Amino acid sequence: MLPISVIVDNISKSYKYGIFTKNEDLILSDVSLEIIKGKTVGLVGPSGVGKTTLAKIIIGLERPTKGGILVNNSNIWNMPKDERLKTLRTIQMVFQDSQGSLNPKKTIEQSLYETAKLIGIQKTDRKSFILEHLEKVGLSSDIFCRYPHQISGGQNQRVALARILLVDPEYILLDEPTSALDIAVQAQILALLKNLQKEMKFGYLLISHNTPLIKHMSDNIVALKEGSVVFKGPPKKYCQITTME
Amino acid sequence: MTHHIEELKKFTINKINLSLIGIFIFSVFLFVAISADIISPYGPWERFEPYSSPSSDHLLGTNDMGNDILSELFHGTRVSLIVGFGASIIATAIGILIGLSSGYYRGLVDEILMAITDISLMIPRIPLIIILAALLRPSFVIIMLLIGLLWWPNIARVVRSLTLQIRDSPFILSSKSLGFRDRHIIFSDIIPNIIYIIIPKFMLTIASAMISEASISFLGLGDPTMKSWGMMLNFAFMKGALINEMWWWYLPPGLCIVGVVFSLMIIGFALEEKDNTEEVDE
Repeated sequence: MLPISVIVDNISKSYKYGIFTKNEDLILSDVSLEIIKGKTVGLVGPSGVGKTTLAKIIIGLERPTKGGILVNNSNIWNMPKDERLKTLRTIQMVFQDSQGSLNPKKTIEQSLYETAKLIGIQKTDRKSFILEHLEKVGLSSDIFCRYPHQISGGQNQRVALARILLVDPEYILLDEPTSALDIAVQAQILALLKNLQKEMKFGYLLISHNTPLIKHMSDNIVALKEGSVVFKGPPKKYCQITTME
Repeated sequence: MTHHIEELKKFTINKINLSLIGIFIFSVFLFVAISADIISPYGPWERFEPYSSPSSDHLLGTNDMGNDILSELFHGTRVSLIVGFGASIIATAIGILIGLSSGYYRGLVDEILMAITDISLMIPRIPLIIILAALLRPSFVIIMLLIGLLWWPNIARVVRSLTLQIRDSPFILSSKSLGFRDRHIIFSDIIPNIIYIIIPKFMLTIASAMISEASISFLGLGDPTMKSWGMMLNFAFMKGALINEMWWWYLPPGLCIVGVVFSLMIIGFALEEKDNTEEVDE
């Protein structure tokens, strides 16, 4: 049964340090939000507020101190490991550093082939499977033999997106996906993301500092301040609040 | 900025040329080690007139037992390189295993492994090897094991810090979220990205292990049944080669040790330099 939505349920995250003092740094405090298929949630907040930590918790790379991530109403941390890995594969992430998203020692072909192999695509079908997904992001096999540093930032971001698409995700977390790109390429990537969402009904969590971008892309906005949610609502309302401030 | 990069490239190209000299010198020693049985004029234990000076029959003369020193030197190359390579393989394997586990898994695993590493780093290695070599039956395999088991902490530290640098890279996080297993991430993503630092360390560890073996053998704690360069120096010293100015006995093994160590060090440094330039290029 496929997940309907991803619910971030009262997540808190703190890091303990010190052997004797037991100090802790509270990064996130009771954060709740919902990512629905076909919709975009914009996550805004100043640097160091815990946006990326929250994203890492959602994709299962970090365990929350309190609260849970509910996929299809089941807490991922209560699932058996194999089921958790399978469920978490439906949530993927696009990183800010487009070139850094791909292994610099592997060609584009190697990065894509190993992902196709991971999900059990037969050897004979891998090439066509990969080409089909590359086409979705506007690329062809011309870049197969290149390394990430030999292609542009925009192409790297498209390859990273194609790699994610291979595992057939339902939700994609976009962590500043266009901030490292120039204006023209930013527009192309955003248009591509919009089209993919329209076509494949992806649920997006868009993390950005860029308020106009968040307003343009999001159906709902969640604002974080000092690790807590300070606003949750439609972009129009967020515009009113930020204008008043 | 471009000017600086060009300067760095020129410097590195010179380093790479220098590394070719290192590779050539090391290849000669490797060839000698492999073909010692064929190219040696005599067997290493074959006896002739003792203490003879260099001549057409014995290019480097003979020792106190009447063994041909050139033949000893050729066979000693094999033993010294086996000890150097063996010890370095053991030290590098342990260093990689501990450094990777520590840097990748972090937490309690990291704390325990790094505590062990720190304690190991504090142990004075040569004195410990001398004590252990004196307690155990002298054998070149034991010396190789001892050096290998005591030389890993530096490699583990380097591997750990490199692993820590890249474990939170987007491509590693991406591989994790795609569902790749830890084993795949370690072998396919992390090791290929740190191997360019590990190889020079491996080369430098061979050099270090060879010097240690020579030192231990020179002190008379080596394997008396195996002819290594260190043992040759030990016998030369014990039998008065230095006092009697028999340079053909003590100088060749000393020069061979310097030659191999020098070649390995310049190969190691050039590889490190090459990796740094690639990073600048990218």
